[in-house]
Amino acid sequence: MALLEVEDLRTLFKVREGEVHAVDGVSFSVERGKTLGIVGESGCGKSVTALSIMGLVPVPGRATGSVVFDGKQLVGRKQRELENIRGRDIGMIFQDPMTSLNPTLTIGTQITESLRRHLDMTREEARKRAIELLEEVHIPNASGRLADYPHRYSGGMRQRVMIAIAIACNPKLLIADEPTTALDVTVQAGVLDLLSELQSEHGMSMIIITHDMGVVAETADDVIVMYAGQVIEQAATLELFDQPEHPYTEALLAALPQIEGEGVRHGRLNAIPGRPPDLLTPPSGCRFAARCAYAGMDDCAEVAPQLREIRPGHWVRSQHPASERAAQVVGVR
Amino acid sequence: MTDAVLELGHEPQPVDQPLLVVEGLKKYFPIKKGILVNRTVDHVKAVDDVSFEIYPSETLGLVGESGSGKSTTGYCVLQLLKPTDGSVRFLGQDLTKMNQGDLRRMRREMQIVFQDPYASLNPRMTVGDIVAEPLLVHDIGDRRLRRRSVERLLEVVGFNPDFINRYPHEFSGGQRQRIGIARALALNPRLIVCDEPVSALDVSIQAQILNLLKDLQGEFGLAYLFIAHDLAVVRTMSDRIAVMNRGKIVETGPAEDVYSNPQDEYTKALLAAVPVPDPRKMRARRAERRKHRAVLAEPI
Amino acid sequence: MAVDRRQEFEAALTRTAEARGAEASAGAALVRASLWRDAYYRFIRNRASVIAAIAFVIMLGYVIVTPWVSSEDPYALDFSKAYLSPSWAHPFGTDQFGRDLFVRTALGGRISIEIGFAATIAIMVVGILYGSISGFAGGWIDNGLMRFLDALYGLPYLPFAILTLAIFGTVNFWTMVVALTVASWFTTARVMRGQIITLKENDYVRAAHAVGARWHRILFRHLLPNTLGVIIVFVFLELPGVILGEAFLSFIGLGINPPKASWGSLAQDGYVSYLSHPYIIVVPSIAIAWLILCAFFIADGLRDALDPRTREA
Repeated sequence: MALLEVEDLRTLFKVREGEVHAVDGVSFSVERGKTLGIVGESGCGKSVTALSIMGLVPVPGRATGSVVFDGKQLVGRKQRELENIRGRDIGMIFQDPMTSLNPTLTIGTQITESLRRHLDMTREEARKRAIELLEEVHIPNASGRLADYPHRYSGGMRQRVMIAIAIACNPKLLIADEPTTALDVTVQAGVLDLLSELQSEHGMSMIIITHDMGVVAETADDVIVMYAGQVIEQAATLELFDQPEHPYTEALLAALPQIEGEGVRHGRLNAIPGRPPDLLTPPSGCRFAARCAYAGMDDCAEVAPQLREIRPGHWVRSQHPASERAAQVVGVR
Repeated sequence: MTDAVLELGHEPQPVDQPLLVVEGLKKYFPIKKGILVNRTVDHVKAVDDVSFEIYPSETLGLVGESGSGKSTTGYCVLQLLKPTDGSVRFLGQDLTKMNQGDLRRMRREMQIVFQDPYASLNPRMTVGDIVAEPLLVHDIGDRRLRRRSVERLLEVVGFNPDFINRYPHEFSGGQRQRIGIARALALNPRLIVCDEPVSALDVSIQAQILNLLKDLQGEFGLAYLFIAHDLAVVRTMSDRIAVMNRGKIVETGPAEDVYSNPQDEYTKALLAAVPVPDPRKMRARRAERRKHRAVLAEPI
Repeated sequence: MAVDRRQEFEAALTRTAEARGAEASAGAALVRASLWRDAYYRFIRNRASVIAAIAFVIMLGYVIVTPWVSSEDPYALDFSKAYLSPSWAHPFGTDQFGRDLFVRTALGGRISIEIGFAATIAIMVVGILYGSISGFAGGWIDNGLMRFLDALYGLPYLPFAILTLAIFGTVNFWTMVVALTVASWFTTARVMRGQIITLKENDYVRAAHAVGARWHRILFRHLLPNTLGVIIVFVFLELPGVILGEAFLSFIGLGINPPKASWGSLAQDGYVSYLSHPYIIVVPSIAIAWLILCAFFIADGLRDALDPRTREA
């Protein structure tokens, strides 16, 4: 049985103008010890998905559906029970370590606080464990740095502290929401290395949420691509990058500026025209239709495509995924 | 009212003469301590002896991580910050030694596009006012002519001129960035400093804006000082590249060369750390990256 | 020469614009939202503020309308009617001279509120000017102005106001306004300075600078308009202080001369007889408290409604 099974997760936000369908029927699973990458641009619902799993959706929003973690249903659980699960069995790290850490408490306090809350340790035990954790995330001079305040740490180090706090109780699942977006490229590499190191040592599963395809390529075993609140493609990482099916995935990969290659300077990038749809009144048909190069071919702008398995383990929500388009062209000839 | 006579450099710059020559640029920020009286105890050397040139219609990419001093360099070039030392010769004149009046006139030739589409537009001004401001400040045309220019500028950057009376907050990040670009273009500058112009935008919008910048460069003969931390973005925009680290330029050269054959250790480390959307490559790179860890020991 | 280059540019613009054609559809606007309307809705949701706003308006209504419609002469002395307790004929009773307190309180309210608003406006003007110049100029000008302000802060509020009145020699509407302003503008100045300093860092200010805008354009077109939210909130924060200040000064006898009265002097009138006829002092006191509470709650609601952090969609 998978560690995490999400089924038809929907999160609605009630605002003055109506309802925003931030997450609209998302399903996926995470196996033990594996990493799932959730990739998409801003507004696609990836962060809200993570928050919904943890039961942390802010007030005008409500999550429905099924989230089964280690055999236990999380949706609809009382906050007190969720609090126990969060921190102990599920750890979470956020994008901006600057705002995730309390600037008025020392690093040591913030770590031991979490430890004593979930693991019932004495102050001495917690302190020792905190030093161990800091060493595990490669913070030099760990015992000396416990008494420091967050502002004395650099961005990358703060993120490492966040990771230390998140893994303090040896969680089974770690959810990382844009963990490296606010960091420099070189620091980012270090943090990603650390995450994979910790994952193999602790046998942890991981969900990594990002807009950066490169990060996904590096860290994830499986990937789901989100657009406008829905999952539009799902596959193993190698498979997704080798043979992207959905027009959006293809377009996204094509729009990335290349580091290598000829004629990069004077060529134009393959931009995707237009903008993602408004989630207050999502289109009834395919949500990508307005920007899709192939939308004119059939009725996909009116009829919403379902998620289907185009190859074993590779799911796509589109009427004309890449492999079928190629076949069509051949067929016409 | 026609625009004031500009004594300096009307004629198109000959292509073999650099448009901008920066030499020995330094910007130090004093660190002050003390309660009643502030003593300067040390300096943050944001820009520490930086030199480069930019030729007409070319793009120099200035790449580096946060804290490298690249944005500060851009501001110093435009004299938005007063350099501590060094010279900035633009169209043959040293900007650091100019008086206020001449500098103001010179500003018509050099403009800037900012990173944050939300903070770079005054929320209390209409789109039209924002783009017209440069023309207004320099007394170009009358109301009617300015409005026409603004409409054309907006069209040129792919922004619907019907929305000229709307406010910035009604538009998305990408659209706001277009407004910022229109504003930068309004005075027909020869040089535009692009300070991380796409860093705050989604990938699919990034590509749109980068294409726009490329197009404008060709259409209006613009030179760019393109500042960014994203190596791939810089690569796609630049003819030549300068890599900055801790206030200094560690490597310069034609883009092709720097990327395919980096000389400096930092440049190599930087290139090795860039995430590339290719799973096999990424995993192979991990080993190489571990080698470079020593060079990149994080500053405490 | 420059004209040619400009014309060339305009021509290039036109050509390029025409060539662009349909791509301009990148410009579809988002929600047709107004920042003010958003703020309005946020304010409406805050129940305390809405009640306070209504109560404030009721108070204003009372103060404006009552003297017009009432048949009582607030200045007539009629000892036969002295010290009457509140009744239908005299909802607030009468004072020692037989004057109807319902009308007198309304008239007193007019004076108190007029002084309050005038002083608040004056405080705003002085505070904004001082603060913006200090914040905008920076450097030693800012330093000097702020050190001077720090020194002024040390002076106790009421004695300062009393001293100012003493210097003027008489107490009338204008001297009272000046005295209250002189003693209270410091906080506004400091807050404005902080605002200007923060706003100065915004990219759009740098952009104006880069374009060649002169300092006055930057200050008046870019900085000050963006402090509007703060200014509005501050108006409602300063108002209570000023009203209370005027009330206190009147209460200790430094108020507007009779027969004109403000709430403070009405309270003073009631002081001598508060054991036997408490309503004479209670009514103006409640009126003052009413206004102050309303102003505070309105200020609170306005501050939340106009908070720029929540403004971004």
